[in-house]
Amino acid sequence: MTNAARLFYWEGVIVVGGLFGVIAWRLFTGGIGLDCLLYGDRRDRRSHTGYSSFFSPGRTQLLIVTSLTAGYYLLQVIHDPTTFPKIPVAWVVALGGSHAIYLGGKAQSMLFGIRDLIDRRTHDEN
Amino acid sequence: MKIRNIEFWASLIGAVIFAFVIARWVPGDPKEKVVLAIEYGGLVITFLFGFMILAAIASGKIDISAILQEKAADGTLTGASMSRFQLLIFTFVIALSLFLIVVNTGDFPSTIPPEVLTLLGISATTYAVSKGIQTGAKNGNSQPTSAVAQAAADQATAAAQTAAHHAATAQTAAIRATAAQAATSQK
Repeated sequence: MTNAARLFYWEGVIVVGGLFGVIAWRLFTGGIGLDCLLYGDRRDRRSHTGYSSFFSPGRTQLLIVTSLTAGYYLLQVIHDPTTFPKIPVAWVVALGGSHAIYLGGKAQSMLFGIRDLIDRRTHDEN
Repeated sequence: MKIRNIEFWASLIGAVIFAFVIARWVPGDPKEKVVLAIEYGGLVITFLFGFMILAAIASGKIDISAILQEKAADGTLTGASMSRFQLLIFTFVIALSLFLIVVNTGDFPSTIPPEVLTLLGISATTYAVSKGIQTGAKNGNSQPTSAVAQAAADQATAAAQTAAHHAATAQTAAIRATAAQAATSQK
């Protein structure tokens, strides 16, 4: 490794590592709010803003799939840090499907004001 | 001219001084010295700019507290946005991967595989579509039903108050007229 490459390495470690560190630190200490990360908005005529919050299964599954995909990808890179790893097509399709479910649910609740199935069932039981 | 970002100028001057020192005092062929001066000058300035931004974020001068928040349909800041969060995660993962690969191979990858582009594409498209849905909901719900009803109720109340005021005025005038008429008839 030449001197310039060694300098680049340490610069990258300090700046990139520092940026990850600062953002992770802010996330853990609450400096970057994660409140309501799993809660979505939907149309609600009874609310004065026209919207109300609800626990969103779509967001939860997206968080799980995203975390798994990111972790899998990072592990592959750490295992062989010479090339970008190959991702199985099925994995990409699963990720795309997960995002589509999230977006579909969001569009349904925000644009069309249709109650989700769980909420409707709870409401009917009451 | 007012200098606002002293750190920016300090970084720039520091890099130029570093390059000058290499070009002036490091022994070797003049062509190699020019290459070395540009190489190290570029590295130093990139590092100082990056460090400057990092220090500003850490000290709170650059506020990133709302980096995951989205504007709600009524214009206020809501809780954390899932689409922003996943975009942040994927950007970090790909950036870290690229850094590790460049450090280990000593070279920038000749091709970016389509999987990486697909991953980032899905993530960024989700954020864009999510933003579109929110904007659509905001435009379609600029006057929510309850707000329209509230405005109509306010107008009705104001009209009723005006009518009551007019009625009271008319009643007073009628009483005065009746009293005047009674006084005239007594005379």
